[in-house]
Order: sequence, then C-alpha cells, then structure tokens
Amino acid sequence: MASQQILFSPAELAYLHRSLSLKPPIRPDGRAPTQFRPLTAETGILPGTNGSARVHFSDGTEAIVGVKAEIEKTIEAPRAEESKPESNEAASERTRGDWLELAVEIPGQRDDEASTVFLSEMLREALLADKEFAKKLFINRRFHWRLYLDVLLISPPLSYPLPLLSLTTHLALLATRLPRLKSEGDEDPMFDDDWEASTFLYPQEGTATNGSRPPITLLVVAIGDNVIFDPAKEELAVAETALAVSVAEVRRAQKAGDMEVDSKGRELSLLSIRTIDPPSRLTPPGVPHTSNTGSSAFAPTKLQKAGDQETEGVWKAPLGGTKFGVLDGIIQAVLEKGGVADEVLDGLEGVELS
Amino acid sequence: MADRRRVNGPGGITVPPIYEAEDLPLPDRSRQPNGIRAQYLKTGVTPSASGSAYLEIEPQNGSVSKGMKLTCTVHGPRSLPRSAPFSPHMVLSTHVKFAPFATRQRRGYLRDSSERDLSTHLETALRGALIADRWPKSGVDVIVTIIEGDQARQVAVEQGIEEWDMMNVLGGCITVAAAALADAGIDCVDTVSGGVAALVPGKDGEEPVMVLDPVPSEHEEILAACCVAYLPSRDEITNLWLKGSLSSDANLQRMLIARAVHASKGSSQAVAASLTEAALAG
Repeated sequence: MASQQILFSPAELAYLHRSLSLKPPIRPDGRAPTQFRPLTAETGILPGTNGSARVHFSDGTEAIVGVKAEIEKTIEAPRAEESKPESNEAASERTRGDWLELAVEIPGQRDDEASTVFLSEMLREALLADKEFAKKLFINRRFHWRLYLDVLLISPPLSYPLPLLSLTTHLALLATRLPRLKSEGDEDPMFDDDWEASTFLYPQEGTATNGSRPPITLLVVAIGDNVIFDPAKEELAVAETALAVSVAEVRRAQKAGDMEVDSKGRELSLLSIRTIDPPSRLTPPGVPHTSNTGSSAFAPTKLQKAGDQETEGVWKAPLGGTKFGVLDGIIQAVLEKGGVADEVLDGLEGVELS
Repeated sequence: MADRRRVNGPGGITVPPIYEAEDLPLPDRSRQPNGIRAQYLKTGVTPSASGSAYLEIEPQNGSVSKGMKLTCTVHGPRSLPRSAPFSPHMVLSTHVKFAPFATRQRRGYLRDSSERDLSTHLETALRGALIADRWPKSGVDVIVTIIEGDQARQVAVEQGIEEWDMMNVLGGCITVAAAALADAGIDCVDTVSGGVAALVPGKDGEEPVMVLDPVPSEHEEILAACCVAYLPSRDEITNLWLKGSLSSDANLQRMLIARAVHASKGSSQAVAASLTEAALAG
C-alpha cells in the first residue's frame, strides 16, 4: 500500500475531503455512501479448474479466481496413536488450516511484497476463521483435499483491490465442485468419474444448506462523520480510517413453516477485522496562504508555528488513531440487518453457477 | 507463500527431535481473567542503533508457556537514498523476524508470509503514532526480532495454536517498537502499546468468557481474539486486528475490543515506567 504513489495535490485532497465529509457525502462518482460499484460476474469460465469466477467492476478492474483441488495424504500427528478408537467426528476436528493454499497475484507487484501478502492473509484468515471450512476438505482419516485458490488481478490495480478479490473468491468457492466420493471409511478414496454427479463444496439451495457460506470482505472508510463503502482511489486517499471487515452468512436449519422469516434478512457472523493503513497519511500537506512566503500580497506578518494548527480548507494528513466510537460505527454499519452486506450477498446470489 | 524467485535448498534439513509424549496435564490459566502477565522492558540495549528496546514477558509457573523475548532496534531518521523519490514525510519501514530457533518449527532466514503480515500490521500501528511530517526526505527502519516465541514444545504441534499466537507476538512487537522509537527520540503523538484479548469457552459448558493476554496453550480452544494498538492519552486506536467466529451479537465484538484496549493500558504502564527509568538514569 505504501508503495503506491498518491498523485493528488493538497488542494485536490482538501476539496475531496470537504465534499466527502458533507452530510450526505458527495462522492466523486456520484454514488450513495453505501453503494457498490456496478459489476458484472460470471462463473465456470476456466474448464481446467474445480471452480472459477470472473468479476469485472465498472471502473475497469477485473479479477479471475481459479480453485483447484488435489488429494493429499494426511500426516498423522505423533500423538494420534494413543487414542486409537476415535470416532470419525473427533478425527474430523483434527483439520488443519494449511490445507488451503491461497496465492494473490497483482500485476506490477512482486508476489512476496508485504502488501500482497497482507491481502492474501486477509482473504485466507476470513475463510479459515470459522472452523467449518477445513472440515469440508476432510475425506477420511488418512486423506484430505488440498485446495489451491489462485487469485489473479488481470487489470492494473486502479483502486485498492480488496473488495474485488474478495467477491471473486466468494463466487469461485460457491461454484467449486468436488467429485463424489464412492469409497467408504478409511480406505483409499475412490471417486465417481461422472462430473455431473459431483457435489458442490458449499451445498446449493434445496438440499442441506445449513452451515456457513463463503465470506465476503468489505472495505469501509470513515471520512469525517461519514461511513463510506467500497471507496474508489480518490476516496481512499483522503480517508481517516480504513477497515476491512469480513462477514459470512450463517444458514440455520429451518423448518418448513418459517419461510418468511428467512426471506427478511440473513444471519451474518463477523469473521475478521483488519485496519488498513490509509494512504492519506502519506499525502503532502498544503501550505496556508497566510504563511506562504511566495505570495507577496499576504507576506507573513508574524512567525507561524511549525504547522501545528490546522487551517480551514488546507489539507493536512491525518494524525493519530481512530476513536473507538468511529470503529464501532463502521462495524455496526456492516453488520446492520438489511445493510450493505445483505445487498452484496443478494446480488451475488443472482449470479448463475455453472 | 513459498519463495519462488530463488532456488532454495530443501527446507527440512534440520529435523527437530521428537520427544516422548509427556503426560503433562493441560495447564489451566491461573491468572484472573483480567490479569496480564508481567513484562520487563528496557530501552537502550543496542548501542549502535539510534534507539532500541528489549521486552520480556514473564514465563508462567507450572505452565507450558515459556514467556516471550523480543528485541527491537530503530535505525534513523536518516536521509533517503538518492534514487528514492521525494517524500514529504518520514518513510517508515518495519521488519518483523522470528529467530530461526524461536519456535518449535524452525524458521528460515527469509521472512515467510506470517512475518511479512506481522510487519504490515506493525507498520499500520506505528504510522498512526508518528508525527511523520517533521522529517521530510528521511527514512527510519524499525526491526523487531523475536528471540523466543511463546510456544510450548509439545502443545504447539497442534496447528491452530500457532495462528492465535501471532496476536500475542504482534502485541509484544507494538509495545517494544514504541519504546524503541521513544528511545530514538522520534516524535510521536503518544507511545502506542499493544494489547490482546480473547474469547474462550467457559469451564464446564458455561458461557464463553473473555480473558486478557491469553496464552493459547492454556485454553482448549479460542473462539475469537483481538489485538489493538492503543494510544492511551489520546484514547485512540491505531491498529485493530480481530479474528474468529463471532455471532451477530453486536456487543460481543464491542466487548472484545474494549477488553483488548484494557490489556494495552496495562502494557503502556510498562513502557512509561521503563522510559522514566531511562530518563532518570540519563
């Protein structure tokens, strides 16, 4: 993040900050504060993968995700021998987070750069935060699936790519199918050859849809008193706080009677929060007109202290941290029933899975 | 993520000795839920660096936890190399590295993804506290080395614990780096300090409880954990890292953040005490 140069002048930043802290904020692209950029999405674009997705944002950024699964032998922990008569249930609890390998590739950046690693750890963390995911990869006590999630940004990173990559990963995981298991118990796994019979990693509607769904990570910034979702590059450049909040829908077993209850809202669970270093801290400060020695008409009459006080309308990079109340407001805005997370999940549900 | 740019030798040359399973009962937390472990902090330990600090977190008696030892050196502020572009602020770069022998699983000399991730967190935490526009065109390097990680030999084998341990390490990194920055005489709005709180299942199937400064091996399971970097005198948070599965109950994460802030107030006392001591000693 720090490596990205911000090419805005102090005057531009002051203007952006001013219009974004109005109530309601005026965003450069005319969106409402909770509105996402329009996107087009499709799944099943890569024939060689278990599941894939492509998402294209209206600002020209585009990402593809491919999911590939391999069978791997489970390495027994040295303690396992003591407790031989273990039920299948207990064994499935010995799942490990490193069964999932996630790689993020962003053009123009090295894959071991700190910001890229930060992005991939963030996506990985959200997936593994509830222990449900690793359980899906369990085959039997001797074998498990190893899932490779390759996230590729194919356009240059015009804005912070986190929401885009997260939504694409979400769709790809929803579209992921694994071959149907034919063998039973702890024998070597045998699979059904028929791809039509394969099962979805996250079961579809109609069947047992209990349990968690793949997470989405939303990027939220606070500017003044406003909470703004899915910030564009200009908005991130003046943000005082940027948070990445991962949420997932949890579906509970529902009886036949309460269909209406389900349609009203979904149950969201919070999986992870990370502060993102806002690039606004690296922006150049503006020089107030009164202390500008270059303008002869308003020559400074008295010595100004070294820029400690802020002048109205002159840009100064934010200093210090964020109040607890502001952070809490952001989290509440994400988790709100019928809020942005719901809207995004509704939109993604409309994407046809192939 | 594996390093794909170099041809590295095989990673597993040094095989750690496998000890016979000790029948240690899994120790329980003996501290109060709101108690943090004692910390020893000393500044000015590395003469060649412009600022340095050493932090030791007390090992627990009768516990598998062996404490944690961290050291931090600050180099700079110094002028940027000629090739670097103009910067109106001080350029902060942070490196977090585990010593190869710090944890049960040997760490390589190259930084792996978890270490890079930690250094990004640390950078966010420190950048909020620095008054960076007082040093234009200059850079400062903050290097944290974890000499001894907080991991017991036998228990750390089980995966999952190691991931939760990262939060504790980050909390220590933030505290020690803040002390080293103060020792280097770099202007900050306040000394930032790290604190960790976790939600663990209660005993005998009771309601989950929140504990400060959790030692992962002392608990059967950790449901969620939160690490904050906190500026006590401004009452502001510069870095927030929360993970785990929390239901939509809004108060739970609010409480967790508040408890983590509480923990960081404890470690900020250690920072204040050691800096006063250093100032008195001259």
